[in-house]
Parts: sequence; C-alpha cells; structure tokens
Amino acid sequence: MTRKQRALIVCPGRGTYNADEWGYLKQHHDGQTDWLNAFDHYRREQQQPSLTELDSKTPFSMKLHSRGDHASPLIYACSFLDAQAIDPERFEIVAVTGNSMGWYTSLALAGALSPLDGLHLINSMGRLMHEQLIGGQLVYPWMDGQWRPDPAQRNRALARMQHIVDAGEGQVFVSIELGGLLVFGGDKPGLATLSQALPKQDRFPMALYNHAAFHTPLQAPVKALARQMLANLTMQKPQVPLIDGRGKIWTAWSTDSRELWDYTLGHQLTEPYHFTRAISVAVREYAPDVLIIPGPGTTLGGAVAQSLIQANWQSLDSKEAFIQRQQENPILISMGREDQRQLAIQPSDAVVST
Amino acid sequence: MPSPEPNTLQTPLMQEVRKRFTQPTASLLDDLPRLAESDLSRSDLVEMIESQLLSRLLDLEARRLQAQGDAYYTIGSAGHEGHAALGKAFRFTDPAFLHYRDAALLIQRSKALPGQSITWDMLLSFMASTEDPIAGGRHKVLGSKALTIPPQTSTIASHLPKAVGAAYSLGLWRRLKHQGEWPNDSVVLCSFGDASLNHSTTQGAINTAGWTAYQGAPLPLVLICADNGIGISTPTPQGWVAASMRHRPGLHYIAANGLDLVSSFAAAQEAERWARTHQQPVFLHLSTVRLYGHAGSDAQQAYLSPAEIQAMEQRDPLLISAARLQQEAGFNSTDLANFFDDMLERVQAVSEQARQRPRLATADQVMASIIPPSRPSLAPPPERPAKVSQTPQPMAKLLNQSLDRLMQRYPQMVIAGEDVGRKGGVYGVTQRLQHKHGRFRVIDTLLDEQSILGLAIGLGQNRMLPVVEIQFLAYLHNAEDQLRGEAATLSFFSSGQYTNPMVVRIAGLGYQKGFGGHFHNDNALAVLRDIPGLVLVCPSDGRRAVGLLQEAVRLADEEQRVVVFLEPIARYHCRDLHETDDQLWCHPDPGPDFRIAHRHFIQDGDGDDLAIITYGNGTYLSQQALPTLADAGIGTRIIDLCWLTDIDHDALYQAIAPCKKVLIVDECRRHGSISEELMAELSQRGRTSTDMYRLTAEDSFIALGQAATCTLPSKDSIEHSALSLFTARNPA
Repeated sequence: MTRKQRALIVCPGRGTYNADEWGYLKQHHDGQTDWLNAFDHYRREQQQPSLTELDSKTPFSMKLHSRGDHASPLIYACSFLDAQAIDPERFEIVAVTGNSMGWYTSLALAGALSPLDGLHLINSMGRLMHEQLIGGQLVYPWMDGQWRPDPAQRNRALARMQHIVDAGEGQVFVSIELGGLLVFGGDKPGLATLSQALPKQDRFPMALYNHAAFHTPLQAPVKALARQMLANLTMQKPQVPLIDGRGKIWTAWSTDSRELWDYTLGHQLTEPYHFTRAISVAVREYAPDVLIIPGPGTTLGGAVAQSLIQANWQSLDSKEAFIQRQQENPILISMGREDQRQLAIQPSDAVVST
Repeated sequence: MPSPEPNTLQTPLMQEVRKRFTQPTASLLDDLPRLAESDLSRSDLVEMIESQLLSRLLDLEARRLQAQGDAYYTIGSAGHEGHAALGKAFRFTDPAFLHYRDAALLIQRSKALPGQSITWDMLLSFMASTEDPIAGGRHKVLGSKALTIPPQTSTIASHLPKAVGAAYSLGLWRRLKHQGEWPNDSVVLCSFGDASLNHSTTQGAINTAGWTAYQGAPLPLVLICADNGIGISTPTPQGWVAASMRHRPGLHYIAANGLDLVSSFAAAQEAERWARTHQQPVFLHLSTVRLYGHAGSDAQQAYLSPAEIQAMEQRDPLLISAARLQQEAGFNSTDLANFFDDMLERVQAVSEQARQRPRLATADQVMASIIPPSRPSLAPPPERPAKVSQTPQPMAKLLNQSLDRLMQRYPQMVIAGEDVGRKGGVYGVTQRLQHKHGRFRVIDTLLDEQSILGLAIGLGQNRMLPVVEIQFLAYLHNAEDQLRGEAATLSFFSSGQYTNPMVVRIAGLGYQKGFGGHFHNDNALAVLRDIPGLVLVCPSDGRRAVGLLQEAVRLADEEQRVVVFLEPIARYHCRDLHETDDQLWCHPDPGPDFRIAHRHFIQDGDGDDLAIITYGNGTYLSQQALPTLADAGIGTRIIDLCWLTDIDHDALYQAIAPCKKVLIVDECRRHGSISEELMAELSQRGRTSTDMYRLTAEDSFIALGQAATCTLPSKDSIEHSALSLFTARNPA
C-alpha cells in the first residue's frame, strides 16, 4: 500500500506521567538531544529542575513529579518528541487535538506555537496551577463495563452535582467530558460532598491527586494572571487543523491567531473541556485511518475508545468491539504502549527504542 | 520507492474547477469593494471561502457518488456560494427556512456553534443514511436542529408562508412576555429563487408580510431572493425581480452582488440590522449564477448555447473568492492549490466513511418519525374547578365555551382566521373571544388560506398552540399543500426534531337549511384522509364536539400532532332531533375534563340486528331514523366514528360483530369517501359484503336551495336502506 494513512494526533492531558513512565524520555528520546537540550535549558533558566533530571535522575516521587509545574512539561516533552518520531512516510497528520493540557501540546504539534513557546505556555500554566492550586478534580464513570452509555447513571451523577450546588454545599462543575468519564472540578467541600453522594464503583469516585479544578469558573484568578503573564505569547496559524475543547476547528488557512490566543487563555480555562466532542468532530470531519496518542501512559486510550463508541464511529459499539478491532486492524495507537509504539514510528527510531 | 497514490478521485468537473480556482484573475475585483473597507477581517474572509469551497466540493462529490449509485439528489448550490456571507451575518439562533441551494449558508453558520461536523452530516444526508442527523435518510435536505434550520421540502416556495408565521410569532411571544423555541429578538430568514418568486404561494406570503408590516405589526423577516436568472430552462426577464419588488409596501428592498462575499456580507448586515432593529421585513435581492444545470440530471446544453454556459461559468463566485485570496489574503498559486486539494482530500475521505453507514431498510424505519414525539404540556394545572353551565345548548355555543376555557388553560394558545375576532366567526363559534383574550391571541387574518395555515405552522414551530380557522371546507383546497406538503411532513423530514402542532378548525359538510351551494356545503374529505400523520376529527353534536375539541387541543399540545377539526355547519345551531322544540340535539356543557380519546368511536344503543357506522350529520340523521327501525323490530346500534383517520378497524369490527347487518352512512361522495375504507377493512376482517350496505352522497357538487340535499343521504334513505337489508331486496 502506498497511500499514506490519515492520522489524527490526540495529545494526552495531566496525569499520564507516573511511576511506570519515569525514564520515558531517556528510554525513547535519548538521541533527541537538540530539543531536549533546549527544553532543559529553558527549565534551568526558570530556576526549575530540568526535564532530563526529573525524567531519569531524580527518583520518582508522586508528590514531586505530579506537581503541575513538573508533570505538565514532562508530558509535553514526551508527547512532542513522540510526535516527531511518527513515520512521515506512512502517516499524514490530518488534524491534531488533545485532552485538557493536551490542548497546549496540540498547539505546538500543529505549529501554532513554536516548540519552545509551547513549553513556555505549558510551564507557565503548570506553574500557575501549582502555585494557585484552586480546588480539585474527581472522576466518575457513566458508561457500563462494556463501555456502553448509561444515560441514567450520567443523569444521576449530574443531578447529585446540581443538588450540591443548589443546596449551597460547595462549588462543583463538570470539568471534562472524557469519554465514559465525567470529570468534576470543584472546591474541597463540594468535591467531598459529591464523593460521598456518588455510589461507589470499583475505585470511583476517584480524586485526582495534585490536580486543580481545571476548566471551571474557579480558575478565573489563574485566567487573569495567565493573560497578563502570557500577553506576549506569539501564536501563528496552525499548519494542520486543530480541534479544541469545544469541538471547534481551527484551520491552517483561516485561523485568527489572536482568537486562538484568546480561547487558549480564556474560554478553555474556565469552561468545560469537551474532549469527547473534540474526538467526535475530529473523526467525522477528517476521517482518519488511525488515531495516534503520543506521550506517556495508556490511560487516554480508554477515553478515546469510549468517545469513538459514543460517536458510533465505524460501528464501534462496545469495549469488546473495540478490542476486536484493535486486534484485527488497530484504529488507535498509543505510543506509550511498547507494542503499539512500533506501529507508529520510523524504522530507524524503532531500532533506537528497542 | 513508489510515489504515493493521490488521495483523491478527481472527476473531470473537479479538475476543471480546480484549474479555474488556482488561476484567478485579479481584474475580477475591479468593481468590487475592498476587503479592507469592509467589516470583515482577513480570517473572516478566508473562513467564508472555506465554506464556499466545501459547499462546491460537496456538490461535485455528490455527483461522483450519484454516478456510482451511492447518492441520489444532486441538486446543488454551485454558483450560490456567496450566501456563505449570510451564514456569517446572522446569528445561528435566527430561524432559517432555506431552499436547496443554500449549503454554503448552512456550512458557514455551523462555524458559529463549535462542535458541529457539517461535512459528515451533509454527506450522510446525500447518501440517505439513517445516521443523517436531520432527516435520518428520508430526504436530502438542508437542516439542523442545533443551527435552527428546519428542513424544507422541495415544493416551490411553499416554505414562505410559515416563515412569515414564524416571524410573526416572535413579536407575539414578546407581547405575551414569554419565549418559545427561539429568542424573541431573532430574525427569520427565508430563501428562494427568482423563478420561485413568481409562484402564487410566494406572492401570497410576500403580500402577507407587507400587509402585516404596513399596519405596524412587528415582522422581523429577511426574504432572500437568490436571483440566478433562470428557472430550470426558463429565463427570468432581465430586471424583473427588482422591478417587481423594489417598491412593495411594507418591504425594505436591498440588492447586492451575490457572487461576491464582501458585497453580500455588507448587504446581509444591512438586512439583519434593519429587520432586527425596525422589526420589519426586508427583501434581500442577491444576484447569483446557476452552474452545472438545475441538477445533475439536467442537461443544460439542450436549452442553453455554449456561449451562454461559458458566460455563466465566468461568473462563478469561487473565481472572485480565489482572486480575493490572492489579492487580499496573501495566497499564492501553490497556496490556492493546496487549499483546494486539502479540502477535496478531506471531503473524499469523509465521504468514504459516510458511504459505509447504514441506510433505511424497512417501512418501520422510514415511518418512525411521521408521528412526532410526545412532550410535557405547557398548560399549568387548573387552579379550581371551572363553572360549567348545565343548560342544554347547541354545538356552536358549546364550542365557543370550550374555546374560551382552552384559551384560559393554555397560555400559548392563539386563535386566528378570517373574521374570527371582531365578528366572532361566520357562525359565532369564536364570539367574544377577542374581546376577552385580546387581539394578539385572537387574530383577524387577511383573506388568504395559505397565509393562515402558514401562520399556524410558524406559530407551532415556535412553541405556540395555534387553533386556526378555515372559514369553509371548500376554501381549504387552494391552501391544502400547507397541510400536506408542509405541516404534515415536518416531523417526518426532521426525525421528529421539528414539529408544528396545531388544530385547524374547518366549517364544512352539507345540510345547511335554506342555503345550499357547493362552496358552503363541500362534502369532500378525501384530500384530508390520505396525509400520513394528519388527524381528522368530526363531531356530530355539541357534547361530543367539546370532548373532541379538548382532545384535539391536547393532541396538539402534548403529542405535537396536526389535527383538522371538521365542524358540520348544519349542526352548529341545530337544537331539535325529531320535532320542533324537542331540544334533543342540545346538550349541557360536559366540562373541561371531558375528552373523547383519540381513535375512540362512540356507540349509541346496543341492538344486535343492525349496526350503522357513520359520523357527523350521518349520526344525526341515523338517530332520526331510529324510531322507524324500532317499529320494524330492528334492534340498532349506531357507531359515531368521530375520528376519521387512523380508524381502529379491529375495535370497530368487534363492536359490530354481534350485528346481523351493517349500514354505512357516509355524507361524503360515493367515490373517495370513508365508506370505501370501511367496506374494505371490514371485508378483510371477515364481514360478509352481502350483509353490508353503504349509503353515500352522490358523486356531485351541492346545489342551491331545496336541491341542496338531493344528492345527500337523508333520514328516509337511511330508513329505506336499513329496512332493505332485512328483506331479500337489494337496498339500492
């Protein structure tokens, strides 16, 4: 086959670099010294530990590595460098999207930000989030074990959230529509009450450690600071289309870079991030042959698959159907999984990484 | 290493368009306004051109798909892509009733609401997939619930009357201090072509818009005439549209070069401001061009010369846009080629995926949206039991009281029709209602049935509960398509997402004493009985009229149905049954909670010799015949059908099962009347045809005076037919 495969890049959000991912940069990108050196140089200028140090020298500590000012740039660097390793002979990147923090990575991968400006944005936002650390996030599933939508469960969870708000027991909002997961963002009383109110299911409701109430109105102070701090951040038109957390498409031709800046440091900080819709729009409007998730971890794969199921994409209607599809002709490649990584990268990189 | 295969399947027409698009001529912009002098940014311009190009490539892809059997309708928007500017100038919440050449408007509008997948949606529509989000594969329509674009049918200009109605609803909601489906500060858009302008429906709607605005009533409406100069093969006379529309009273006329985005946008902006600010209708006249024929199947070479076709192609709006990209947006020829190729590649990749989606396969799937979904009533619970008069009264009076109560119960209910307000209706059914409920809720319309039904459709779509009146059944026929082609199809073509619930009260049928004449005694219902989903109901007396009307209004309110309520004029003021002053056809008001459930018929008596199946005046006449039949020892039951569509034939068959003989009394004509259906359905269920007889009106129009009932069933003919069934003789 000589026709290139159409690939949609899906950039991961926070929470994907954990103990198992420690050493990811060293393992996969040890030879990519140019970009890593530049990233490390930037970090040292900011009086922060370099990504190389964090990735392979400072022993992994949940407390340290999951901090916004460290986790975000680490994930960014892993994702960015993974994306550079995607085989251009076999894949044509037709669009880029991401989840939450993955939006910032998307901007860099699509060329709307230079790689260093991408790091600057992510580092600055990670730092602000860490310093402010307003509120937190709580995750709760609403699809069944086969990843089939259970609207009643969803409605019950949302009703409980609304009840807490109406009763003045705390502030809780939908933070992210993440496939089969509802991610709530809120203040401590709100999340604590919601956590008690939601029926237990396995490990859910699950609080996300070191996460703030991203994509909620509680981030208004962060937004104000970010808009000041990053007023001079220069964005360009993307070179490939971007799909944002509302499902809006930013094309290579018509994007107004000022509006892109305004959305990035505005709406998406304080309004819900609709990852599910972003995936739905991306596949329907760009018809990719494959979706590639660069970067560490494997947790976003489930949310992507659940989003595809919600969009009824290519008749995927259950976890079982998805797994079968993955075995026969993978539609989703998670570069954080060693077996799938090989499907995406250039042969020369495959040698390096094995 | 082999070079990559091209990712597109270019047809010769695609190659031709690409060639022209990538070699624009700067002089095309010579007489056009500059981008820099407009309210548009460079990004705005490029975004609209993306919409234009996507629209064109979807048209071309539809033709490719049609050739390989994957798509059906190829009527397209080529040459009308300047309308992308309308998608930019108006709000996505402004209801837009679009004709079939407005894909660019739809595409551009989709960009105002993030999360839309318009390419996918449109390709699903082309390929009639069940997953097409608007029509579910039932037709290729332009429509979207999220983007406030109700789907339209292809019948010429039949969507204009409802656009006028929708615009009228906005001011009405403001008066009522509530809001329906759409924000009250919306502007309604309605587009059509220059050939359609000549259609009587268009002219009627434009006249109604002017008539309304002329009196100062708010009507925020933008009528968009896409003037491409030709209607299939017939040219529009040069200058005709402007000459006929420029000076219409009540209408603000704006004209612009619809081939050019910047010019179109400026005109659309002016139209939008005028309509929203002044609450007055605008006639927006945009010159366009039709490219590649009327549709894929139309060989325009048969009626246009090569020179004419070439001249049309040179006016292609994409060429102007390409020139603007080059002159005003910094595109070089490589950029133009990449712009085109990227889009085509994307369209064809999406197309290939859409091609694999399921199509409608069964009758049940096709019919699933004929009947709209139910929804909660808007009526608040009644505060206290209403006072109900126990004085027996005739039908007109009881209907009047019931309408009064319904107006109180349903705050969104509106009554409209000719002479329903001040006069209180020709027969007094709406007497004093305007005085009591105000002229905004009891509306005296102009004399145009299409506009009355269009008003009902527009009000219904914007969450009102219209109860409109057609003065006489014979007057319905010039407007019948508003029910058949428009109101009844809306749920079907929108998968139940758009509805226009309403009750249409029509006075009709024969037997008016001392009057007669076809036009006031029309007895033909066939035109109302074969419309899928439409409910037809006909009472026979005042008590049943109240029960049926209250159920009809509930059906519209909660089940979003289109109901025609046919009132037998001869029974309006009828008091007596057998003899003068017996008052047997007067009834006490059965009260607000009395409803005769949809599809339920009423059985009078339980004799098991003879079943008479009838409705309307037939019920009255059959009741008159009862004493004679009793004298003859014939035990009779009379079935008053009440609901004349979707009849429950199984229940009917059971109800008459004990009876030896069946007489069908139908006051409508022998052919095309309900009697035919009854005979067929009962026979199919095993009723022996020799035990049944149908007594109908003759296949005639109604004459004047004493001759008015000559052609209709009578008490005597019912008695004769019934008795004959019990003799060896043929009743005829």
